[in-house]
Amino acid sequence: MSFQIINAMLLRGFGTTCLLFLLTLVLSLPLGLIIMFGLKSPFKPLKYICEIFVWIIRGTPLMLQLFVVFFVPSLVFKVSIFSFTTKTIFNGRFLAALITFVINYACYFSVIFKGGVDNVSRGQYEAGKVLGLTKSQIFFRIILLQVIKSILSPISNEVITLVKDTSLARVISVAEIFFINETQILSKAIVWPLFYIGVFFLAFIGLLTVLFSYLEKKLSYFKV
Amino acid sequence: MKRILSIALAAVLLFASVAMFASCGKKSDYKKIQEKGYFVCGITLYEPMNFFNEDDELTGFDTDFANAVAEKLGLQAKFQVINWSSKYLELDSGAIDCIWNGFTYGSESNGVSRTEYVDFSYKYLANGQCVVTSKANLATLNSKEAFVGKKGMAEGGSAGEDLAKELSTVYTPTASQMSALTELMNGTVDFIVIDSTMANAMVGKGDYANLSVNNAIPTEAEEYAIGFRKGSDFTAKVNEAIKALSADGTLATIAAKYDLSSSLIANIGK
Repeated sequence: MSFQIINAMLLRGFGTTCLLFLLTLVLSLPLGLIIMFGLKSPFKPLKYICEIFVWIIRGTPLMLQLFVVFFVPSLVFKVSIFSFTTKTIFNGRFLAALITFVINYACYFSVIFKGGVDNVSRGQYEAGKVLGLTKSQIFFRIILLQVIKSILSPISNEVITLVKDTSLARVISVAEIFFINETQILSKAIVWPLFYIGVFFLAFIGLLTVLFSYLEKKLSYFKV
Repeated sequence: MKRILSIALAAVLLFASVAMFASCGKKSDYKKIQEKGYFVCGITLYEPMNFFNEDDELTGFDTDFANAVAEKLGLQAKFQVINWSSKYLELDSGAIDCIWNGFTYGSESNGVSRTEYVDFSYKYLANGQCVVTSKANLATLNSKEAFVGKKGMAEGGSAGEDLAKELSTVYTPTASQMSALTELMNGTVDFIVIDSTMANAMVGKGDYANLSVNNAIPTEAEEYAIGFRKGSDFTAKVNEAIKALSADGTLATIAAKYDLSSSLIANIGK
């Protein structure tokens, strides 16, 4: 196989990897915020449900969750929601992987958010109240930005892990970069693409690292 | 009291949300496929059945065969690369509609007949499980006894597993037949058991020039067929199409293209 063909295959696979990563990030951050509200809810049943849910998701392997999401709806409940195919990379397998990743990462994010919110001092809430702000105004205008600043580092860790975790999607045959490499290239005893893939990831994560340090600088005028 | 009540309520809500997945009405398998307009073949990539050629296009005997059957039925054939060891899960979950990838009519390595898991089509191609070693080892690995204690490998869940385990206790399953070939090239195993159709197409040529089929172990004869969901009415439709394609010579033309003429079963369904 020529360089061009292998290159095209790998780029296609990396496209799937990037799409899976970006969609997961965009969807799991808001969902994590919602779960965080559940974890801090004064309504006890909701709080317990969220705690049990986070325990289950964080307590079981991501690979197991991929199998469960992809196979259980159709095998146990006889609803084949993930069997559709399209001309693009967005098929049933991709959707199943996306749902799994979003739920999984939302749970991790929710706990990070909770830690961030718990660390904002009571005085901030009291000051808001004195100024006559409503509860939601206090949260979105005063608390949230301080939370974002204090949790940026743990979030960046999770995000970088997520980039590499996308390779787990290959267990349900999502055509991401490692699946393509394993089935079409490595199986023909061609080894150099392994290093090439390494460069892809290094560059991508390098970009993310630069982005996060830029964000940290931007937020550094807060003195908390 | 309040605490117990809230825990109980939480549990009820959790179960209710799980139970919301209601099952829907049953339609015949063929009807569903007709409505979709296509069927999905679960495959792994290897020559000469399903592989990407130099132009990065999916080709091979089973690819052309499935496309011909699809045309006959007024449908489209789609191909999905799967993990061979989860092929029955994939089939039963509806993620694929058939296992069409040099699928051997026979038993799993645990002795359970594959007819327990799938309905088979007509058998269409003769195959065998053959042992491949490096050319340098041909002279020493010359009898069944010589294989004892050697490192063997075959695709997990494949028909070749039996023979590999029988020859040596040092056995490792792998993800695909192609990765078994790679391991042998790499020298991490001493022998592999793969399909003879694949060995004829690949071993001893090109990238695999220093490998050879080891004739000290006789090839075990078997046949390929297509696997469908148990009780599916799609099986009969495909069988009709295969019968017609065998009679009008289309299959013979495809077989000749991939150098499989001698393995093709003649007058299928007669």
